[in-house]
Amino acid sequence: MYRYDEFDATFVRQRVAQFRDQVARRVSGELNEDEFKPLRLRNGVYLQLHAYMLRIAVPYGTLSSRQMRKLAHIARVYDRGYGHFTTRQNLQFNWPRLSDIPDILDELADVEMHAIQTSGNCIRNVTADHFAGATADEVADPRPYAEIIRQWSSLHPEFSFLPRKFKVAVIASEHDRAAMKLHDIGLHLKRLDGGGLGFAVWVGGGMGRTPLIAKLIRDDLPEEDLLTYLEAILRIYNLHGRRDNIYKARIKILVDALGIEAVAAQVEEEWLRIRDGALKLPEAEIRRIETYFAPPAFDERPPKAAVRAPVSHDGRAFDRWVARNTHAHKQPGYAIVTISLKPIGGIPGDASAEQMDAIADLAERYSFDEVRVTHEQNLVLPHVRLGDLREVYRALKAIGLAEANAGLVTDIIACPGLDYCALANARSIPIAQRISERLAARQDQIGDLKIKISGCINACGHHHVGHIGILGVEKRGEEHYQLLLGGSGAEDAALGAISGPGFGPDGIVDAVEKVVERYLELRAGPDEPFLAAYARLGDAPFKEALYAA
Amino acid sequence: MSKRAPDVAVLTANRLHDGIVVFLSANGRWVESIEAAAVARSPDEVRCLEEQGARDSAANLVVEPYLAEVGEAGGRLIPRRTRERVRVEGPSILDDVPGYVPAGEAGVRPLVSNVRVPHNAGGEGSDPVSVEAA
Repeated sequence: MYRYDEFDATFVRQRVAQFRDQVARRVSGELNEDEFKPLRLRNGVYLQLHAYMLRIAVPYGTLSSRQMRKLAHIARVYDRGYGHFTTRQNLQFNWPRLSDIPDILDELADVEMHAIQTSGNCIRNVTADHFAGATADEVADPRPYAEIIRQWSSLHPEFSFLPRKFKVAVIASEHDRAAMKLHDIGLHLKRLDGGGLGFAVWVGGGMGRTPLIAKLIRDDLPEEDLLTYLEAILRIYNLHGRRDNIYKARIKILVDALGIEAVAAQVEEEWLRIRDGALKLPEAEIRRIETYFAPPAFDERPPKAAVRAPVSHDGRAFDRWVARNTHAHKQPGYAIVTISLKPIGGIPGDASAEQMDAIADLAERYSFDEVRVTHEQNLVLPHVRLGDLREVYRALKAIGLAEANAGLVTDIIACPGLDYCALANARSIPIAQRISERLAARQDQIGDLKIKISGCINACGHHHVGHIGILGVEKRGEEHYQLLLGGSGAEDAALGAISGPGFGPDGIVDAVEKVVERYLELRAGPDEPFLAAYARLGDAPFKEALYAA
Repeated sequence: MSKRAPDVAVLTANRLHDGIVVFLSANGRWVESIEAAAVARSPDEVRCLEEQGARDSAANLVVEPYLAEVGEAGGRLIPRRTRERVRVEGPSILDDVPGYVPAGEAGVRPLVSNVRVPHNAGGEGSDPVSVEAA
C-alpha cells in the first residue's frame, strides 16, 4: 500500500488544523453558514436531513486493517456504531457532531486518511477496479496510476474551483468493474502496440440528470503522458465548462455540446504545448510508486485443502459462496473474496463497528492486511489462500456477512435516499430491502442481475446503469418510483430506458418481480442472463408484463 | 415545491453544533420534538416564526430554518410532505442498521461546551430550498 511521505503527512495535518479553526469560528459565530459551507464541504462535511454527514476518502478503494479498525473506532466513539460504504468507494458516517469532526479528522490522519476532496467542485477521490493488483485478467495494477493522479490532483490550485465536481476511475482489465465509462474521465490501462503501458482515455461520462456514456478521446496515451493529458483535459473543461447552470456544468455536457472531435482538438492543442513540461512522468517515478503496490509475499506451495470438499454441514452453502463470491486470482493457489454487505433484507453498504473490526482481523490474518471497497457497496479480501477459504467463510458467517449473492439480484446498490439525504425525493433503502426479501429464494435461479436504486435524479445509486434501475421521485408530496430497464455500468455500458408510468412504494417491488418473472419465462435458458434476454427480446414483453391489465 | 407560505406551519432547522433536527417552540427555544413546536395558523404568525428563525440563524443557533407545512390529526402535528415526515421520525430503517446505537447510548463523548450564543437582531434567514450538491 501507499504510505504517506513527509509532504503528505504534513499537508493532511495542516488541513485538520485549519478545519479545527474554521469549526471553532463557526461555532463562535465568527463565520456564518454561507461563509462556512464551502469550507466544510471541502472537508467532506455535509448537512443532511437528520445530522451532519462526514464522507471519508478511501483512495482507489484500498484499506489496511489498521485503517479499517480506525473506521470502526470512529463509528463507536463519535458516531452511532456503524458506517456506510458508498458507490464511490468511500465511507460515510451519518451522525457526527460538527464539534467532533476536527478530532475525527485527526484520528484519520493517524492512519493516513482524510476527507479532503470528497465534496465540492474539485477532482474527487480517484476510484479503481476493486480487484486491482489481484485479478488474473489485468495487464498491470492500475492503482499506482490512481495514486499518481491523487497526488497531482490533491489541492491542485488550478482545479480547486472547477465548474462542477470531477470524477476519475482507472481500470486495467477488459472487464470494467469500476463503471469507468460513467466518469468524467475513465482510464483503461492497457498494453500499447509498441509493448509499453498506456491508456485508452474516455471523457464525458456521467449519470445524474443528463446521463451520458463517456466518449473515447485517445486510445494510445503513453503512461508518461498521463498527467499532461489529464491536465490538458481539465484546462479545456475549466475554461469552457458552464458555470451559469449547475445542471449543465459537468464536462459531459461540454463534450455533448461541442462534440468529442472538437473537444479532442482543443485538448490536443493544449497537450502539445505542455506535453514535455514538468508533469511528464519520469519512468523512475512511475516505478517508484509501483513499489508501494508490489504483490505481497505469496505462499508458492500448493494449497493443502481442496476448496470444494464438503467436510461439514455448511458444505453446500460454502460451495455456493465459493462459486458466487470468489474470483480468479493472478497467483495460483489464491482467490479474491467478495464480502457481501447485502445480507437478505439488509441495508446495502452498511457495516457495524464490530463487523469492521472482524473484517480487519480477517484481512490481517488471511489477506496480507488488505481490504478493498467496491463501488457496488461490498468489501473485498483481495489475496486469500484457497486453503483458507473455509475459515474465512465461517468467520464471515459468524458476523452475518456470508451471503453468497455477489452479482445476484439481491446484491443491490442503493443510495442513502430519503432516509438520510437532503437531496433525495424518495427512500431507496427500504425498496432494496423488500426486493431482496421478495427475490432471495429465487436468486440462484435468476442468476446475474444488477438492480440499482437512486432516491433522486442525482443518481448516486447508479439507477441509469442498473440492468433494472429504480429512480425515486416525489409526486404530489409522496414517494413514487420510475423503473428503468436494460442499463449496464460494465464494459458494455448502456443507459436504461424508462419502462413507462411509475409506481408507488408497494407497486415498485411488484413491478420488479413481474419483470424478473417475465425474464425467467422467456429466457433462452439459464445461461442467458437478463441483459442478453432483454437485448434479444426488446422491452415489449416486459412492458406487457408491467402494464397489461 | 411551491414557495408560497403554508397555511399551517412549523419552523424547523438543524441545530448548529450537531445538525440534529429541531423545531421552534412557543417559548422561543429550539426543541427536538415537533409536538412542542409553535404552530403558525395565520400570515402574521408565519411571519413571526420566520423572523425568529432568521434571528436564531444569524445568532448561530441553527442552520437553514424554514417553514414546514403540517396538518393536525388526532391532536398530533403531521407534516404534509414525506420528506418532512422522515425528518420528524428519523430514518425509517434504523431497526435494520447493523450495530446501530441510539443517540445517548452510543460511545459518543459528551459535549464539552454548549454553543448557545446570545441573540442578535440582524441577519437573514437561509433560503429553504437551497441544497448541497452531492
